[in-house]
Amino acid sequence: MKNIKRAFRIHRIFMAQEFKRMMEYKGDFIVGIISFFLVQLSNLLFLWIIFSRIPNLMGWTVNEVVFIYGLSLIPKGIDHFYFDNLWSIGFFIVRKGDFDKYLTRPVNTLFHVLTEKIQIDALGELIMGVALVCVSVQGISAQWDVFRILAMILMIPFITLIFTGIKTITASVAFWTKRSGNVIYMFYMVSDFAKYPAAIYNRFVRNVITYIIPFALTSYYPALFILRGENPLFNLGMPILASVVLMGAGIFVWHRGLRAYESAGS
Amino acid sequence: MITVDKLRKEFKKTVKEPGLKGSVKSLFRPKSEKVVAVRDISFEVAEGEILGFIGPNGAGKSTVIKMLTGILTPTSGSCTINGKNPTQNRKSYVKEIGVVFGQRTQLWWDLPLRETYGVLKEIYEVPDDRYKKRMAFLNEVLELDDFIASPVRTLSLGQRMRADIAASLLHSPKVLFLDEPTIGLDVVVKDNIRKAIEHINRQEKTTVILTTHDLADIEQLSKRIVMIDKGTNVFDGTIASLKAKYGQIRELSFETASPNAAEALGYDRHFSLGKDDLSVETEGNSVKVRFNSSVVPVSDMLSYTLEKINVSDISVKDADIEEIIRRLYGQGVE
Repeated sequence: MKNIKRAFRIHRIFMAQEFKRMMEYKGDFIVGIISFFLVQLSNLLFLWIIFSRIPNLMGWTVNEVVFIYGLSLIPKGIDHFYFDNLWSIGFFIVRKGDFDKYLTRPVNTLFHVLTEKIQIDALGELIMGVALVCVSVQGISAQWDVFRILAMILMIPFITLIFTGIKTITASVAFWTKRSGNVIYMFYMVSDFAKYPAAIYNRFVRNVITYIIPFALTSYYPALFILRGENPLFNLGMPILASVVLMGAGIFVWHRGLRAYESAGS
Repeated sequence: MITVDKLRKEFKKTVKEPGLKGSVKSLFRPKSEKVVAVRDISFEVAEGEILGFIGPNGAGKSTVIKMLTGILTPTSGSCTINGKNPTQNRKSYVKEIGVVFGQRTQLWWDLPLRETYGVLKEIYEVPDDRYKKRMAFLNEVLELDDFIASPVRTLSLGQRMRADIAASLLHSPKVLFLDEPTIGLDVVVKDNIRKAIEHINRQEKTTVILTTHDLADIEQLSKRIVMIDKGTNVFDGTIASLKAKYGQIRELSFETASPNAAEALGYDRHFSLGKDDLSVETEGNSVKVRFNSSVVPVSDMLSYTLEKINVSDISVKDADIEEIIRRLYGQGVE
Protein backbone atom coordinates (compact mmCIF):
# COMPACT_ATOMS: atom_id res chain seq x y z
CA MET A 1 0.00 0.00 0.00
CA LYS A 2 2.78 2.37 0.95
CA ASN A 3 4.57 1.46 -2.25
CA ILE A 4 1.54 2.24 -4.36
CA LYS A 5 1.09 5.59 -2.68
CA ARG A 6 4.74 6.40 -3.28
CA ALA A 7 4.46 5.30 -6.92
CA PHE A 8 1.52 7.64 -7.50
CA ARG A 9 3.35 10.47 -5.79
CA ILE A 10 6.47 10.05 -7.89
CA HIS A 11 4.37 9.74 -11.01
CA ARG A 12 2.57 12.96 -10.19
CA ILE A 13 5.84 14.78 -9.61
CA PHE A 14 7.34 13.59 -12.89
CA MET A 15 4.19 14.71 -14.70
CA ALA A 16 4.41 18.14 -13.10
CA GLN A 17 8.05 18.39 -14.20
CA GLU A 18 7.02 17.54 -17.75
CA PHE A 19 4.36 20.24 -17.86
CA LYS A 20 6.81 22.75 -16.44
CA ARG A 21 9.32 21.69 -19.08
CA MET A 22 6.78 22.27 -21.83
CA MET A 23 5.96 25.73 -20.48
CA GLU A 24 9.66 26.59 -20.36
CA TYR A 25 9.74 26.95 -24.14
CA LYS A 26 6.58 28.91 -24.77
CA GLY A 27 6.99 29.53 -28.48
CA ASP A 28 7.58 25.88 -29.19
CA PHE A 29 4.64 24.97 -27.00
CA ILE A 30 2.22 27.27 -28.84
CA VAL A 31 3.40 26.18 -32.27
CA GLY A 32 3.07 22.59 -31.06
CA ILE A 33 -0.55 23.14 -30.11
CA ILE A 34 -1.39 24.77 -33.44
CA SER A 35 0.27 22.04 -35.47
CA PHE A 36 -1.43 19.47 -33.29
CA PHE A 37 -4.85 20.73 -34.36
CA LEU A 38 -3.79 20.93 -38.00
CA VAL A 39 -2.61 17.32 -37.93
CA GLN A 40 -5.85 16.19 -36.30
CA LEU A 41 -7.85 17.99 -38.93
CA SER A 42 -5.99 16.34 -41.78
CA ASN A 43 -6.34 12.95 -40.08
CA LEU A 44 -10.06 13.47 -39.86
CA LEU A 45 -10.23 14.33 -43.54
CA PHE A 46 -8.21 11.26 -44.42
CA LEU A 47 -10.47 8.98 -42.38
CA TRP A 48 -13.55 10.49 -43.91
CA ILE A 49 -12.19 9.73 -47.38
CA ILE A 50 -11.43 6.13 -46.43
CA PHE A 51 -14.73 5.41 -44.74
CA SER A 52 -16.85 7.10 -47.35
CA ARG A 53 -15.47 4.58 -49.88
CA ILE A 54 -16.18 1.43 -47.89
CA PRO A 55 -19.84 1.17 -47.13
CA ASN A 56 -19.57 -2.47 -46.06
CA LEU A 57 -16.51 -4.57 -45.19
CA MET A 58 -16.99 -8.37 -45.05
CA GLY A 59 -20.15 -8.07 -43.07
CA TRP A 60 -19.04 -5.07 -41.05
CA THR A 61 -20.98 -1.86 -41.48
CA VAL A 62 -19.20 1.46 -41.79
CA ASN A 63 -20.14 2.40 -38.25
CA GLU A 64 -18.76 -0.82 -36.90
CA VAL A 65 -15.51 -0.36 -38.81
CA VAL A 66 -15.25 3.17 -37.45
CA PHE A 67 -15.92 1.85 -33.95
CA ILE A 68 -13.07 -0.66 -34.23
CA TYR A 69 -10.79 1.99 -35.68
CA GLY A 70 -11.65 4.38 -32.87
CA LEU A 71 -11.34 1.76 -30.16
CA SER A 72 -7.86 0.80 -31.41
CA LEU A 73 -6.69 4.40 -31.03
CA ILE A 74 -7.65 4.67 -27.35
CA PRO A 75 -5.14 2.20 -25.80
CA LYS A 76 -2.57 3.23 -28.37
CA GLY A 77 -3.03 6.86 -27.37
CA ILE A 78 -2.87 6.14 -23.63
CA ASP A 79 0.31 4.10 -24.05
CA HIS A 80 1.77 6.76 -26.30
CA PHE A 81 0.87 9.50 -23.83
CA TYR A 82 2.34 7.89 -20.73
CA PHE A 83 4.98 5.44 -21.85
CA ASP A 84 6.61 6.98 -24.88
CA ASN A 85 9.98 7.09 -23.13
CA LEU A 86 10.58 3.44 -24.06
CA TRP A 87 11.43 4.59 -27.56
CA SER A 88 14.33 6.61 -26.17
CA ILE A 89 15.59 3.50 -24.39
CA GLY A 90 15.66 1.70 -27.72
CA PHE A 91 17.23 4.52 -29.67
CA PHE A 92 19.74 6.27 -27.41
CA ILE A 93 19.49 6.10 -23.63
CA VAL A 94 21.17 2.69 -23.41
CA ARG A 95 23.55 3.26 -26.30
CA LYS A 96 24.89 6.49 -24.85
CA GLY A 97 25.17 5.18 -21.32
CA ASP A 98 22.59 7.62 -20.01
CA PHE A 99 20.79 4.71 -18.39
CA ASP A 100 23.33 4.94 -15.52
CA LYS A 101 21.20 7.62 -13.89
CA TYR A 102 18.23 5.33 -13.38
CA LEU A 103 20.36 2.64 -11.78
CA THR A 104 21.71 4.97 -9.11
CA ARG A 105 18.28 6.00 -7.88
CA PRO A 106 16.18 4.10 -5.34
CA VAL A 107 13.25 3.71 -7.70
CA ASN A 108 12.37 0.73 -9.87
CA THR A 109 14.12 1.44 -13.16
CA LEU A 110 11.25 0.39 -15.40
CA PHE A 111 8.79 2.46 -13.39
CA HIS A 112 11.15 5.44 -13.50
CA VAL A 113 11.60 5.20 -17.27
CA LEU A 114 7.90 4.68 -17.95
CA THR A 115 6.67 7.56 -15.83
CA GLU A 116 9.42 10.10 -16.39
CA LYS A 117 8.12 11.58 -19.63
CA ILE A 118 4.77 12.23 -21.23
CA GLN A 119 4.06 12.73 -24.90
CA ILE A 120 1.46 15.39 -25.40
CA ASP A 121 1.03 14.58 -29.11
CA ALA A 122 -0.65 11.36 -28.07
CA LEU A 123 -3.72 13.31 -27.01
CA GLY A 124 -4.50 13.50 -30.73
CA GLU A 125 -4.93 9.75 -31.01
CA LEU A 126 -6.81 9.65 -27.77
CA ILE A 127 -9.28 12.41 -28.62
CA MET A 128 -9.74 11.03 -32.12
CA GLY A 129 -10.33 7.53 -30.76
CA VAL A 130 -12.91 8.62 -28.24
CA ALA A 131 -14.63 10.82 -30.83
CA LEU A 132 -14.83 8.02 -33.41
CA VAL A 133 -16.24 5.61 -30.84
CA CYS A 134 -18.83 8.12 -29.69
CA VAL A 135 -19.89 9.02 -33.21
CA SER A 136 -20.04 5.46 -34.49
CA VAL A 137 -22.09 3.98 -31.64
CA GLN A 138 -24.98 6.23 -32.57
CA GLY A 139 -25.32 4.37 -35.84
CA ILE A 140 -24.91 0.90 -34.36
CA SER A 141 -28.02 -0.88 -33.23
CA ALA A 142 -26.30 -3.04 -30.63
CA GLN A 143 -27.70 -3.89 -27.24
CA TRP A 144 -26.18 -1.15 -25.13
CA ASP A 145 -26.62 -2.60 -21.68
CA VAL A 146 -24.61 -1.52 -18.65
CA PHE A 147 -22.52 -4.64 -18.77
CA ARG A 148 -21.18 -4.01 -22.26
CA ILE A 149 -20.35 -0.38 -21.56
CA LEU A 150 -18.68 -1.37 -18.33
CA ALA A 151 -16.76 -4.11 -20.15
CA MET A 152 -15.51 -1.60 -22.67
CA ILE A 153 -14.26 0.81 -20.01
CA LEU A 154 -12.70 -1.92 -17.86
CA MET A 155 -10.91 -3.44 -20.84
CA ILE A 156 -9.03 -0.24 -21.65
CA PRO A 157 -6.25 -0.56 -19.02
CA PHE A 158 -5.61 -4.15 -20.08
CA ILE A 159 -5.46 -3.53 -23.80
CA THR A 160 -3.20 -0.55 -23.12
CA LEU A 161 -0.79 -2.91 -21.38
CA ILE A 162 -0.64 -5.02 -24.55
CA PHE A 163 1.00 -2.04 -26.23
CA THR A 164 3.19 -1.24 -23.25
CA GLY A 165 4.21 -4.87 -22.79
CA ILE A 166 5.28 -5.32 -26.39
CA LYS A 167 7.20 -2.05 -26.28
CA THR A 168 8.90 -3.01 -23.01
CA ILE A 169 10.03 -6.37 -24.37
CA THR A 170 11.39 -4.91 -27.58
CA ALA A 171 12.99 -1.91 -25.85
CA SER A 172 14.76 -4.28 -23.42
CA VAL A 173 16.55 -5.86 -26.36
CA ALA A 174 18.72 -2.73 -26.32
CA PHE A 175 20.39 -3.90 -23.09
CA TRP A 176 22.02 -6.64 -25.14
CA THR A 177 22.26 -5.03 -28.57
CA LYS A 178 22.73 -1.40 -27.35
CA ARG A 179 20.11 -0.23 -29.81
CA SER A 180 16.68 -1.64 -30.49
CA GLY A 181 14.68 1.30 -31.80
CA ASN A 182 13.97 -0.41 -35.09
CA VAL A 183 12.90 -3.59 -33.30
CA ILE A 184 10.33 -1.59 -31.35
CA TYR A 185 9.26 0.10 -34.55
CA MET A 186 8.78 -3.15 -36.43
CA PHE A 187 6.57 -4.67 -33.75
CA TYR A 188 4.76 -1.45 -33.00
CA MET A 189 3.79 -0.95 -36.63
CA VAL A 190 1.93 -4.27 -36.58
CA SER A 191 -0.62 -2.41 -34.49
CA ASP A 192 -1.79 -0.73 -37.69
CA PHE A 193 -3.48 -4.03 -38.55
CA ALA A 194 -5.59 -3.62 -35.43
CA LYS A 195 -7.39 -0.64 -36.87
CA TYR A 196 -9.57 -2.80 -39.10
CA PRO A 197 -11.64 -5.92 -38.45
CA ALA A 198 -9.27 -8.89 -38.34
CA ALA A 199 -11.78 -10.84 -40.43
CA ILE A 200 -10.64 -9.01 -43.56
CA TYR A 201 -7.10 -10.46 -43.40
CA ASN A 202 -6.01 -13.90 -44.55
CA ARG A 203 -5.51 -16.67 -42.03
CA PHE A 204 -1.79 -16.16 -41.62
CA VAL A 205 -2.01 -12.47 -40.80
CA ARG A 206 -5.02 -13.10 -38.58
CA ASN A 207 -3.15 -15.72 -36.58
CA VAL A 208 -0.12 -13.50 -36.21
CA ILE A 209 -2.11 -10.54 -34.90
CA THR A 210 -4.20 -12.74 -32.64
CA TYR A 211 -1.64 -15.04 -31.08
CA ILE A 212 1.88 -13.82 -31.78
CA ILE A 213 1.92 -10.02 -31.86
CA PRO A 214 -1.62 -9.82 -30.58
CA PHE A 215 -2.70 -6.33 -31.53
CA ALA A 216 -6.05 -7.65 -32.80
CA LEU A 217 -6.82 -8.24 -29.14
CA THR A 218 -6.69 -4.51 -28.55
CA SER A 219 -9.77 -3.66 -30.59
CA TYR A 220 -11.26 -6.26 -32.93
CA TYR A 221 -11.93 -9.00 -30.38
CA PRO A 222 -13.23 -6.74 -27.61
CA ALA A 223 -15.45 -5.14 -30.26
CA LEU A 224 -16.85 -8.55 -31.21
CA PHE A 225 -18.24 -8.77 -27.71
CA ILE A 226 -19.14 -5.13 -27.21
CA LEU A 227 -20.99 -4.82 -30.53
CA ARG A 228 -22.31 -8.32 -31.05
CA GLY A 229 -22.16 -10.00 -27.68
CA GLU A 230 -20.06 -12.85 -29.08
CA ASN A 231 -18.03 -15.23 -26.93
CA PRO A 232 -17.07 -13.07 -23.93
CA LEU A 233 -14.76 -15.75 -22.60
CA PHE A 234 -12.43 -15.48 -25.58
CA ASN A 235 -13.09 -11.93 -26.68
CA LEU A 236 -12.55 -10.42 -23.26
CA GLY A 237 -10.51 -13.17 -21.59
CA MET A 238 -7.81 -13.34 -24.23
CA PRO A 239 -6.95 -9.62 -24.17
CA ILE A 240 -6.73 -9.71 -20.37
CA LEU A 241 -4.57 -12.81 -20.44
CA ALA A 242 -2.37 -11.38 -23.18
CA SER A 243 -1.86 -8.11 -21.34
CA VAL A 244 -0.82 -9.87 -18.15
CA VAL A 245 1.50 -12.24 -20.01
CA LEU A 246 3.08 -9.54 -22.17
CA MET A 247 3.60 -7.05 -19.37
CA GLY A 248 4.91 -9.82 -17.12
CA ALA A 249 7.31 -10.90 -19.85
CA GLY A 250 8.31 -7.27 -20.35
CA ILE A 251 9.15 -6.82 -16.67
CA PHE A 252 11.08 -10.09 -16.68
CA VAL A 253 13.11 -9.36 -19.82
CA TRP A 254 13.80 -5.82 -18.62
CA HIS A 255 15.28 -6.99 -15.35
CA ARG A 256 17.35 -9.65 -17.07
CA GLY A 257 18.56 -6.91 -19.37
CA LEU A 258 19.79 -4.78 -16.46
CA ARG A 259 22.38 -7.45 -15.74
CA ALA A 260 23.63 -7.27 -19.31
CA TYR A 261 23.72 -3.47 -19.39
CA GLU A 262 27.23 -2.30 -20.19
CA SER A 263 26.99 1.48 -19.82
CA ALA A 264 29.36 3.50 -22.01
CA GLY A 265 32.92 4.65 -21.50
CA SER A 266 33.52 7.90 -19.71
CA MET B 1 32.73 0.27 5.45
CA ILE B 2 33.39 -0.67 1.84
CA THR B 3 34.79 -4.06 1.01
CA VAL B 4 35.70 -4.91 -2.54
CA ASP B 5 36.54 -8.55 -3.00
CA LYS B 6 38.04 -10.01 -6.18
CA LEU B 7 35.85 -7.84 -8.33
CA ARG B 8 35.96 -8.83 -11.99
CA LYS B 9 34.23 -7.57 -15.10
CA GLU B 10 34.44 -9.08 -18.54
CA PHE B 11 32.94 -7.55 -21.65
CA LYS B 12 32.23 -9.24 -24.90
CA LYS B 13 33.55 -7.17 -27.71
CA THR B 14 32.62 -7.77 -31.31
CA VAL B 15 35.61 -7.69 -33.57
CA LYS B 16 35.07 -6.00 -36.89
CA GLU B 17 37.29 -5.62 -39.86
CA PRO B 18 37.63 -1.99 -40.89
CA GLY B 19 35.31 -0.24 -43.32
CA LEU B 20 31.83 -0.87 -44.57
CA LYS B 21 32.79 -4.29 -45.88
CA GLY B 22 33.93 -5.35 -42.44
CA SER B 23 30.71 -4.07 -40.90
CA VAL B 24 28.58 -6.01 -43.35
CA LYS B 25 30.68 -9.12 -42.83
CA SER B 26 30.30 -8.91 -39.06
CA LEU B 27 26.56 -8.55 -39.46
CA PHE B 28 26.39 -12.05 -40.92
CA ARG B 29 29.29 -13.70 -39.17
CA PRO B 30 29.86 -11.86 -35.91
CA LYS B 31 33.14 -12.51 -34.20
CA SER B 32 33.57 -11.58 -30.61
CA GLU B 33 36.30 -11.74 -28.05
CA LYS B 34 36.35 -11.51 -24.32
CA VAL B 35 37.88 -8.39 -22.82
CA VAL B 36 38.72 -8.34 -19.14
CA ALA B 37 38.21 -4.75 -18.02
CA VAL B 38 38.67 -5.37 -14.32
CA ARG B 39 40.73 -8.29 -13.10
CA ASP B 40 39.99 -9.47 -9.56
CA ILE B 41 40.47 -6.21 -7.74
CA SER B 42 40.26 -6.13 -3.95
CA PHE B 43 40.53 -3.26 -1.51
CA GLU B 44 38.85 -1.80 1.53
CA VAL B 45 37.84 1.68 2.49
CA ALA B 46 37.29 2.78 6.07
CA GLU B 47 34.49 5.03 7.20
CA GLY B 48 35.25 8.70 6.74
CA GLU B 49 38.20 8.04 4.48
CA ILE B 50 38.80 9.87 1.20
CA LEU B 51 40.26 7.39 -1.23
CA GLY B 52 41.95 8.57 -4.38
CA PHE B 53 41.33 6.09 -7.12
CA ILE B 54 43.68 6.65 -10.01
CA GLY B 55 45.01 5.04 -13.13
CA PRO B 56 45.61 5.90 -16.78
CA ASN B 57 42.76 6.22 -19.26
CA GLY B 58 41.19 2.86 -19.94
CA ALA B 59 42.63 1.28 -16.79
CA GLY B 60 39.18 0.26 -15.58
CA LYS B 61 38.53 3.00 -13.02
CA SER B 62 35.08 3.87 -14.28
CA THR B 63 34.17 0.21 -14.62
CA VAL B 64 35.05 -0.35 -10.96
CA ILE B 65 33.07 2.74 -9.90
CA LYS B 66 30.12 1.57 -11.97
CA MET B 67 30.16 -1.82 -10.27
CA LEU B 68 30.40 -0.17 -6.86
CA THR B 69 27.44 2.05 -7.64
CA GLY B 70 25.27 -0.80 -8.89
CA ILE B 71 25.29 0.28 -12.53
CA LEU B 72 27.21 -2.72 -13.83
CA THR B 73 26.80 -6.27 -12.64
CA PRO B 74 30.19 -7.82 -11.83
CA THR B 75 31.16 -10.98 -13.72
CA SER B 76 32.43 -12.34 -10.42
CA GLY B 77 33.51 -11.12 -7.01
CA SER B 78 31.57 -8.79 -4.78
CA CYS B 79 31.45 -5.38 -3.23
CA THR B 80 29.60 -4.51 -0.08
CA ILE B 81 28.90 -1.22 1.59
CA ASN B 82 27.73 -1.46 5.18
CA GLY B 83 26.97 -5.11 4.53
CA LYS B 84 24.74 -4.26 1.57
CA ASN B 85 25.29 -5.59 -1.89
CA PRO B 86 24.28 -3.61 -4.99
CA THR B 87 23.41 -6.62 -7.11
CA GLN B 88 21.12 -8.09 -4.48
CA ASN B 89 19.29 -5.08 -3.18
CA ARG B 90 19.94 -2.18 -5.47
CA LYS B 91 17.21 0.11 -4.21
CA SER B 92 18.17 0.14 -0.55
CA TYR B 93 21.86 0.12 -1.48
CA VAL B 94 21.72 3.24 -3.63
CA LYS B 95 19.96 5.16 -0.87
CA GLU B 96 23.21 5.10 1.05
CA ILE B 97 25.40 6.32 -1.76
CA GLY B 98 25.72 9.48 -3.80
CA VAL B 99 27.18 9.45 -7.29
CA VAL B 100 28.60 12.17 -9.52
CA PHE B 101 29.93 11.44 -12.96
CA GLY B 102 31.78 14.53 -14.06
CA GLN B 103 31.00 13.81 -17.69
CA ARG B 104 27.27 13.46 -17.20
CA THR B 105 24.59 15.24 -15.28
CA GLN B 106 21.55 14.02 -13.45
CA LEU B 107 19.94 17.46 -13.31
CA TRP B 108 16.71 18.25 -15.15
CA TRP B 109 18.19 20.03 -18.13
CA ASP B 110 15.32 22.33 -19.11
CA LEU B 111 14.17 23.43 -15.69
CA PRO B 112 15.45 25.80 -13.02
CA LEU B 113 17.93 24.02 -10.79
CA ARG B 114 15.62 24.23 -7.81
CA GLU B 115 13.18 21.88 -9.51
CA THR B 116 15.77 19.10 -9.64
CA TYR B 117 16.18 19.18 -5.88
CA GLY B 118 12.43 19.13 -5.42
CA VAL B 119 12.17 15.92 -7.41
CA LEU B 120 15.18 14.28 -5.81
CA LYS B 121 13.65 15.06 -2.42
CA GLU B 122 10.70 12.88 -3.37
CA ILE B 123 12.77 10.16 -5.01
CA TYR B 124 14.92 9.80 -1.90
CA GLU B 125 12.01 10.43 0.49
CA VAL B 126 13.70 13.24 2.39
CA PRO B 127 11.28 14.73 4.95
CA ASP B 128 10.45 18.44 4.63
CA ASP B 129 12.34 19.72 7.66
CA ARG B 130 15.45 17.69 6.86
CA TYR B 131 15.27 18.88 3.27
CA LYS B 132 15.23 22.51 4.37
CA LYS B 133 18.21 22.07 6.66
CA ARG B 134 20.04 20.09 4.03
CA MET B 135 19.51 22.67 1.33
CA ALA B 136 20.71 25.41 3.66
CA PHE B 137 23.85 23.41 4.39
CA LEU B 138 24.57 22.57 0.75
CA ASN B 139 23.90 26.16 -0.17
CA GLU B 140 26.48 27.33 2.28
CA VAL B 141 29.13 24.83 1.21
CA LEU B 142 28.59 24.88 -2.54
CA GLU B 143 27.17 28.39 -2.93
CA LEU B 144 24.19 27.47 -5.03
CA ASP B 145 22.19 30.61 -4.28
CA ASP B 146 23.43 32.59 -7.29
CA PHE B 147 22.04 30.17 -9.82
CA ILE B 148 19.45 28.02 -8.09
CA ALA B 149 16.68 29.78 -10.00
CA SER B 150 18.38 29.50 -13.40
CA PRO B 151 17.55 26.73 -15.86
CA VAL B 152 20.21 24.03 -15.74
CA ARG B 153 21.08 24.44 -19.42
CA THR B 154 22.30 28.00 -18.70
CA LEU B 155 24.74 27.02 -15.93
CA SER B 156 28.47 27.17 -16.49
CA LEU B 157 30.38 23.93 -16.15
CA GLY B 158 31.64 24.90 -12.72
CA GLN B 159 28.16 25.79 -11.50
CA ARG B 160 26.76 22.60 -12.98
CA MET B 161 29.36 20.51 -11.21
CA ARG B 162 28.57 22.14 -7.88
CA ALA B 163 24.89 21.60 -8.54
CA ASP B 164 25.50 17.95 -9.40
CA ILE B 165 27.53 17.40 -6.25
CA ALA B 166 24.75 18.97 -4.20
CA ALA B 167 22.23 16.72 -5.94
CA SER B 168 24.24 13.66 -4.98
CA LEU B 169 24.40 14.76 -1.35
CA LEU B 170 20.78 15.73 -0.83
CA HIS B 171 19.87 12.44 0.83
CA SER B 172 22.92 12.52 3.15
CA PRO B 173 24.62 9.45 1.71
CA LYS B 174 27.22 7.61 3.73
CA VAL B 175 29.43 7.13 0.71
CA LEU B 176 30.07 9.58 -2.09
CA PHE B 177 31.47 8.48 -5.44
CA LEU B 178 33.04 11.23 -7.49
CA ASP B 179 34.16 10.24 -10.96
CA GLU B 180 36.33 13.08 -12.25
CA PRO B 181 34.57 15.89 -10.40
CA THR B 182 37.06 18.54 -11.47
CA ILE B 183 37.29 17.68 -15.15
CA GLY B 184 37.41 20.76 -17.37
CA LEU B 185 37.26 23.27 -14.53
CA ASP B 186 39.48 26.28 -13.92
CA VAL B 187 41.89 26.48 -11.01
CA VAL B 188 39.67 28.56 -8.75
CA VAL B 189 36.58 26.43 -9.24
CA LYS B 190 38.64 23.27 -8.74
CA ASP B 191 39.85 24.67 -5.48
CA ASN B 192 36.36 25.55 -4.32
CA ILE B 193 35.11 22.10 -5.14
CA ARG B 194 37.98 20.44 -3.29
CA LYS B 195 37.27 22.60 -0.26
CA ALA B 196 33.61 21.67 -0.37
CA ILE B 197 34.40 17.96 -0.57
CA GLU B 198 36.81 18.28 2.31
CA HIS B 199 34.28 20.19 4.36
CA ILE B 200 31.56 17.62 3.82
CA ASN B 201 33.93 14.79 4.58
CA ARG B 202 35.01 16.39 7.83
CA GLN B 203 31.60 17.55 8.94
CA GLU B 204 29.60 14.42 8.15
CA LYS B 205 32.18 11.65 8.08
CA THR B 206 31.15 10.92 4.53
CA THR B 207 33.36 8.31 2.93
CA VAL B 208 34.54 9.55 -0.46
CA ILE B 209 35.89 7.60 -3.40
CA LEU B 210 37.38 9.94 -5.93
CA THR B 211 38.75 9.26 -9.38
CA THR B 212 40.65 11.98 -11.14
CA HIS B 213 43.46 12.77 -13.51
CA ASP B 214 44.33 15.90 -11.61
CA LEU B 215 46.74 14.75 -8.97
CA ALA B 216 46.36 17.98 -7.07
CA ASP B 217 42.86 16.71 -6.19
CA ILE B 218 44.42 13.65 -4.66
CA GLU B 219 47.22 15.45 -2.87
CA GLN B 220 44.85 17.90 -1.32
CA LEU B 221 42.08 15.53 -0.39
CA SER B 222 43.21 12.01 0.23
CA LYS B 223 45.84 10.34 2.30
CA ARG B 224 45.50 7.04 0.58
CA ILE B 225 45.42 6.06 -3.06
CA VAL B 226 44.57 2.94 -4.96
CA MET B 227 46.08 2.83 -8.39
CA ILE B 228 44.98 0.42 -11.06
CA ASP B 229 46.30 -0.31 -14.50
CA LYS B 230 44.98 -2.71 -17.13
CA GLY B 231 42.32 -3.81 -14.69
CA THR B 232 44.64 -4.81 -11.85
CA ASN B 233 45.50 -3.18 -8.61
CA VAL B 234 49.08 -1.90 -8.88
CA PHE B 235 49.40 0.21 -5.78
CA ASP B 236 47.45 0.57 -2.56
CA GLY B 237 48.82 2.78 0.16
CA THR B 238 49.37 6.29 1.44
CA ILE B 239 50.78 9.02 -0.71
CA ALA B 240 53.76 9.20 1.65
CA SER B 241 54.55 5.55 1.09
CA LEU B 242 54.17 5.98 -2.66
CA LYS B 243 56.71 8.76 -2.50
CA ALA B 244 59.03 6.74 -0.32
CA LYS B 245 58.79 3.73 -2.57
CA TYR B 246 58.97 5.33 -5.97
CA GLY B 247 59.90 8.86 -5.17
CA GLN B 248 63.67 8.62 -5.22
CA ILE B 249 63.56 10.67 -8.35
CA ARG B 250 65.10 14.11 -8.10
CA GLU B 251 65.01 16.82 -10.64
CA LEU B 252 68.19 18.76 -11.27
CA SER B 253 67.73 21.86 -13.39
CA PHE B 254 70.22 24.43 -14.45
CA GLU B 255 70.99 27.12 -17.01
CA THR B 256 74.10 26.92 -19.03
CA ALA B 257 75.73 28.91 -21.81
CA SER B 258 77.68 26.02 -23.29
CA PRO B 259 76.01 24.46 -26.31
CA ASN B 260 75.13 20.77 -26.31
CA ALA B 261 75.68 20.67 -22.58
CA ALA B 262 73.69 17.47 -22.16
CA GLU B 263 75.74 15.77 -24.86
CA ALA B 264 78.97 16.89 -23.26
CA LEU B 265 77.91 15.79 -19.82
CA GLY B 266 76.92 12.30 -20.92
CA TYR B 267 75.24 11.31 -17.66
CA ASP B 268 74.27 7.93 -19.01
CA ARG B 269 77.90 7.09 -19.79
CA HIS B 270 79.40 8.48 -16.61
CA PHE B 271 76.87 7.04 -14.18
CA SER B 272 75.40 3.60 -14.47
CA LEU B 273 71.87 4.90 -14.76
CA GLY B 274 69.39 2.83 -16.74
CA LYS B 275 66.71 4.28 -18.93
CA ASP B 276 64.14 4.15 -16.13
CA ASP B 277 66.38 6.05 -13.76
CA LEU B 278 67.43 8.93 -15.96
CA SER B 279 65.88 11.42 -18.31
CA VAL B 280 67.40 14.55 -19.72
CA GLU B 281 65.44 17.40 -21.27
CA THR B 282 67.08 20.35 -23.00
CA GLU B 283 65.23 23.48 -23.90
CA GLY B 284 67.36 26.34 -25.16
CA ASN B 285 69.78 27.08 -22.39
CA SER B 286 67.99 25.26 -19.64
CA VAL B 287 68.48 21.59 -18.90
CA LYS B 288 66.38 19.33 -16.72
CA VAL B 289 67.80 16.08 -15.47
CA ARG B 290 65.59 13.60 -13.65
CA PHE B 291 67.52 10.85 -11.96
CA ASN B 292 67.12 8.17 -9.34
CA SER B 293 68.82 9.45 -6.21
CA SER B 294 69.07 6.02 -4.68
CA VAL B 295 71.44 4.99 -7.48
CA VAL B 296 73.39 8.21 -7.76
CA PRO B 297 73.42 10.45 -4.67
CA VAL B 298 72.42 14.05 -5.22
CA SER B 299 75.84 15.28 -4.12
CA ASP B 300 77.64 13.20 -6.77
CA MET B 301 75.31 14.45 -9.42
CA LEU B 302 75.83 18.06 -8.39
CA SER B 303 79.60 17.95 -8.14
CA TYR B 304 79.94 16.10 -11.44
CA THR B 305 77.79 18.64 -13.22
CA LEU B 306 79.53 21.65 -11.70
CA GLU B 307 82.93 20.20 -12.53
CA LYS B 308 82.14 19.58 -16.18
CA ILE B 309 80.47 22.77 -17.31
CA ASN B 310 79.75 26.33 -16.36
CA VAL B 311 76.28 26.69 -15.03
CA SER B 312 74.17 29.46 -13.65
CA ASP B 313 71.06 29.09 -11.52
CA ILE B 314 71.21 25.47 -10.50
CA SER B 315 68.58 23.77 -8.34
CA VAL B 316 67.51 20.32 -7.14
CA LYS B 317 63.86 19.49 -6.54
CA ASP B 318 62.00 16.60 -4.98
CA ALA B 319 59.98 14.71 -7.48
CA ASP B 320 56.36 15.67 -7.21
CA ILE B 321 53.62 13.11 -7.17
CA GLU B 322 52.87 13.88 -10.77
CA GLU B 323 56.33 12.79 -11.79
CA ILE B 324 55.99 9.54 -9.88
CA ILE B 325 52.65 8.78 -11.40
CA ARG B 326 53.96 9.59 -14.86
CA ARG B 327 56.65 6.99 -14.38
CA LEU B 328 54.23 4.43 -13.02
CA TYR B 329 51.69 4.94 -15.80
CA GLY B 330 54.45 4.66 -18.35
CA GLN B 331 55.87 1.38 -17.22
CA GLY B 332 53.52 -0.29 -14.78
CA VAL B 333 54.73 -1.38 -11.38
CA GLU B 334 56.93 -4.32 -10.65
